[in-house]
Amino acid sequence: MKSARRHSPWVRLAELRPRIFAFLLDWASWGYIAYAIMYLLNKYWYVRHVNFYGRLTLPSWGWPLVILVTLELALLTHAFGQTIGLSLFGLRLLGPDLRRIPMRQRLHRYLGLHVKLLLQPIALFIDRPLGTLLHDGKQTGTMRLFAKVKDDMPLERPRNWWLTYRGLFTTALLGMTFWLGWKITAVNLGMLVERIGKSGHIWRDLFTPQFTYLTANVIDGRTFSIAHYMMETIFMAFFATITGAIVAFPLSFLGARNIMGFSAVGWLIYTVMRFVFNIFRSIESILMAVMFAVWVGFGNPFAGALALFLHTIAALGKLYSEQVESVDPGPLEAIAATGAKRWQVVAYGVIPQIIPSYLAFTLYRWDINIRMATVIALVGGGGIGTLLFYFKNEVGRLENAWNLVGSVIVAIVVVVWLLDYISARVREKIG
Amino acid sequence: MDEFIRVENLTKIYERGEVLALDDISFTVKRGEFLVLLGLSGSGKSTLLRCINRLIEPTAGTITFDGEDVTKASSRQLRHLRRRMAMIFQQFNLVRRSSVLTNTISGRLGYMNPAASAIHKFTKQDIDDAIACLERVGIPEQAYKRADELSGGQQQRVGIARALMQKPDLLMADEPVSALDPATSHSIMQYLELMNQEDGVTVLTSLHFLSLARRYGTRILALKDGKIVFEGTPAEIDAAKFKEIYGEEAQEVEVR
Amino acid sequence: MEQNYHAGFISSRPNWRKGFRAYGKDLTVLAADIFVLLALWGLCSFIWNHFALGTRDFLSLPWWIVVVVCVELACIWSSFGTSPGLRLLRRRLINEEGKRGLLLRRFLRVATLHLQPFLALEVLVTAKYTPRHDRITGFRVLSEMELQEARGPWYRSSSSLSIVLLGLAMFLVSALFTQVDLVKLFTNAGATAEIWDRIFHPDWSILGLGVRLLIVTLYMAFMATLFGVLLAVPLSFLAARNLARGVVGRSIYTVLRVILSIIRSIEPIIWAIIFVVWVRTGAAAFAGMLALLVHSIADLTKLYSERLESIDPGPVEAIRATGAGRLQVILYGIVPQIVNPYLSFTIYRWDINVRMATIIGLVGGGGIGQRLIQLTRNWVWDQAIVLMLLIMVAVWVMDYSSSRLRERLN
Repeated sequence: MKSARRHSPWVRLAELRPRIFAFLLDWASWGYIAYAIMYLLNKYWYVRHVNFYGRLTLPSWGWPLVILVTLELALLTHAFGQTIGLSLFGLRLLGPDLRRIPMRQRLHRYLGLHVKLLLQPIALFIDRPLGTLLHDGKQTGTMRLFAKVKDDMPLERPRNWWLTYRGLFTTALLGMTFWLGWKITAVNLGMLVERIGKSGHIWRDLFTPQFTYLTANVIDGRTFSIAHYMMETIFMAFFATITGAIVAFPLSFLGARNIMGFSAVGWLIYTVMRFVFNIFRSIESILMAVMFAVWVGFGNPFAGALALFLHTIAALGKLYSEQVESVDPGPLEAIAATGAKRWQVVAYGVIPQIIPSYLAFTLYRWDINIRMATVIALVGGGGIGTLLFYFKNEVGRLENAWNLVGSVIVAIVVVVWLLDYISARVREKIG
Repeated sequence: MDEFIRVENLTKIYERGEVLALDDISFTVKRGEFLVLLGLSGSGKSTLLRCINRLIEPTAGTITFDGEDVTKASSRQLRHLRRRMAMIFQQFNLVRRSSVLTNTISGRLGYMNPAASAIHKFTKQDIDDAIACLERVGIPEQAYKRADELSGGQQQRVGIARALMQKPDLLMADEPVSALDPATSHSIMQYLELMNQEDGVTVLTSLHFLSLARRYGTRILALKDGKIVFEGTPAEIDAAKFKEIYGEEAQEVEVR
Repeated sequence: MEQNYHAGFISSRPNWRKGFRAYGKDLTVLAADIFVLLALWGLCSFIWNHFALGTRDFLSLPWWIVVVVCVELACIWSSFGTSPGLRLLRRRLINEEGKRGLLLRRFLRVATLHLQPFLALEVLVTAKYTPRHDRITGFRVLSEMELQEARGPWYRSSSSLSIVLLGLAMFLVSALFTQVDLVKLFTNAGATAEIWDRIFHPDWSILGLGVRLLIVTLYMAFMATLFGVLLAVPLSFLAARNLARGVVGRSIYTVLRVILSIIRSIEPIIWAIIFVVWVRTGAAAFAGMLALLVHSIADLTKLYSERLESIDPGPVEAIRATGAGRLQVILYGIVPQIVNPYLSFTIYRWDINVRMATIIGLVGGGGIGQRLIQLTRNWVWDQAIVLMLLIMVAVWVMDYSSSRLRERLN
């Protein structure tokens, strides 16, 4: 154990962070089990009808009870077993000689926690070994970071994962989620089979595509052919990828810890950049295209390109900056030692190392953008999806609507597959 | 000591590169011998070893192991034959993510019940045997560590322990010490020698260094370009024969 | 003759294919050059037509003229310098030393290159390929490595320049085709002022419904991933080249790979269109799940089988050598090597499925996307932004936890 010295409360809090997170995670997992139980109770035993999205009904004393019970269970499992949260954060309950604690002492630990629960914040301020709480001690053991003590621990036969507590718990969680998922998504294979008769004609038509509109115009006066829209899609994706890559290139340096982390302003820029990347990565291009379609016109490929552009900047920015952060520092040291300025070190040391992965990521992104571009027309982004949804909407009116849809799908498959193949081959050659 | 392995007219052609790896090789191995294969890289040593347990299919020729024909064996017979032949490799060929114990026990797979082995349910006898084998090679305390956490010499010892688990009649070693330093090489070769002398296992190994061959081998077989150029005892190799095996510019390197 | 290498990897090709490969290489060089020239012509004439004539035309001249000119130029290019095709296959043209009349010989080569299509017959019949255009004119085509000449600066080589030109032209054409209009972007903002106003005053009353819809969406993604994994794991063993044995194995491998590639090229949204029609109305979540499932199986099988193809064959060989049966070889030699990568891919796919599930509602696939598209179509932007924020938070959390988990798996 580390010797008890004067440490600030913030440092102590930082040391305790894995434990706190592990506990919160376990509490949440018990809460999830409670939710599942309540959902199923509501569905099967309560007389009152539950709507499709699982609105929970409980008496007024229900919620505090749930919270209390789950908290107790989390504390119990923390004292008596190796939970999922503890494993994920790499913690283990070990005694002073780095062995496992016998049952009685675990009980003492559990009870001691309850006694000292409200006094815990004091642990931040008094002289205790770093990373320990009030209920830790010689008798009751301490949570330690497994990675640090692994080599000193005596060897023991590892138990089969299926028989450990966390193995069983994970299996129970998965099983419960599966059951709930089955109910919520209303899986019903029988329905699929019995509706084959009604919808069989769709599959039949899809597999007999009619290429009438391959190059011919659908509505005269306006170019409306598959070839035209396919080119529009490819160019849209190409444009978005290239411009996105060009913009993301300098931004990635702003988002790299090893370049920005030398001043307070640098850290701020880094944090903001990463935050912005995360935001725009979390919104799929299609949702942004909704906005842009209104802005520049419904059906305008520019809308789709803009949406893909923003998403590409964020995605590539993150990938690029991760590359910059994992660059080999040796050559950088060497160049800095010759007296070069910061930007020169970056230009001559960092950039040559990252170019192959940049190219590979850009190609990877182009692949994804093409796929997105095929469907972005749904919200007015232009591209081959326009034809797809147009034909789909003609299903009632046109006799051969599904055949035409099939032809569009064939075109999409051919192009996407071809470009996917090419990008995979080029990426092989690069890296 | 009777004839244990007989190789007749063994030929192996790799069609893709039109390479003649083995050219009409014939020799016999007596039971209990410690046979060393010498030769340059690419002379066919690895191919020969792998043909004997049919990890590589020979193009032509027959191999007889203890009276049974390996080349014509059905897949079930082949598995039974392979159980009696253990093999250790230059790159150790352990399953890196598995524990040392699992790697050792996997030597016994040919004898285990398939269903039980599928769920890693080993009998206590097997586990005790595995620990005993690890003790024999001197690393029982590493039993539960991951295989890739061990040093090179330790990994090769796990390979030997895996071979020991099979309780084999034949041990084949494909350049077992080429990836190890001289001191470790000797300790590994000593384990092989121990198996040969104490357990009566016939050892067939390929080596790079003549000094090791002289020290441990009872008989030497030298290959060059897929043909046998020398067959005899270590003492019979003089400077002229050495140049014949290794080529004109070769010089002997001592491994002490 | 079937040749078995270690660990059962398949080897060997019959000899007569060598002729085809050599012929194919020469043909590829020509084809690549012709393609580059056609593309350059098409893009440049598009640009010219757009700015000069205001039309959209990729060929200013009749198509057969363009093709003939490009073919001729390709022959000339590859005979006089290093064309993109030559550089692509890493070959160079060198001549026998001391031969004079170089210029004449090069023209002769251009002429004899026209014989290429007829040589196909000869290759088919005799399974040997003699590059007549090179033999007659005294040239040889060597691979770059044999020649070992120093590469000059990139702007001095015609092939690099042409590729750069191609890239620039393609960029320009793509900007034109996409109707990039920055003016419109900045002047039209007024039309969307109303939307912006609504967006900055979100209506939080829909939060409860949004959370419930999000739960459905997450479960949709989970079920699709789970079933996808269950089906993809066995399929991956069938779709791995190094595990496919015999004629049956190889043909299953090829068929499977082709079908899965096709399925993978079709985005889940398109699959959702089909499934939404197939299932009963009201089972929208089921349709969305099926769409995600189909795509997940294809993608996961591809990732899994690629990993299977790059396993270390050493341990597999060692386990085979102990006399283990085929199943034991797989369980002890292959499976321990792939468990962690498989888990990593599964988490990656789970991340993607969550993203897809949020938008698959746009075609009626249930979940939060369906409500979102309804709201945007009815211009109820203040509620739509709340749902978008929910999606953003959910995807963010999923992304963060999945990347942390995958870090730990490595």
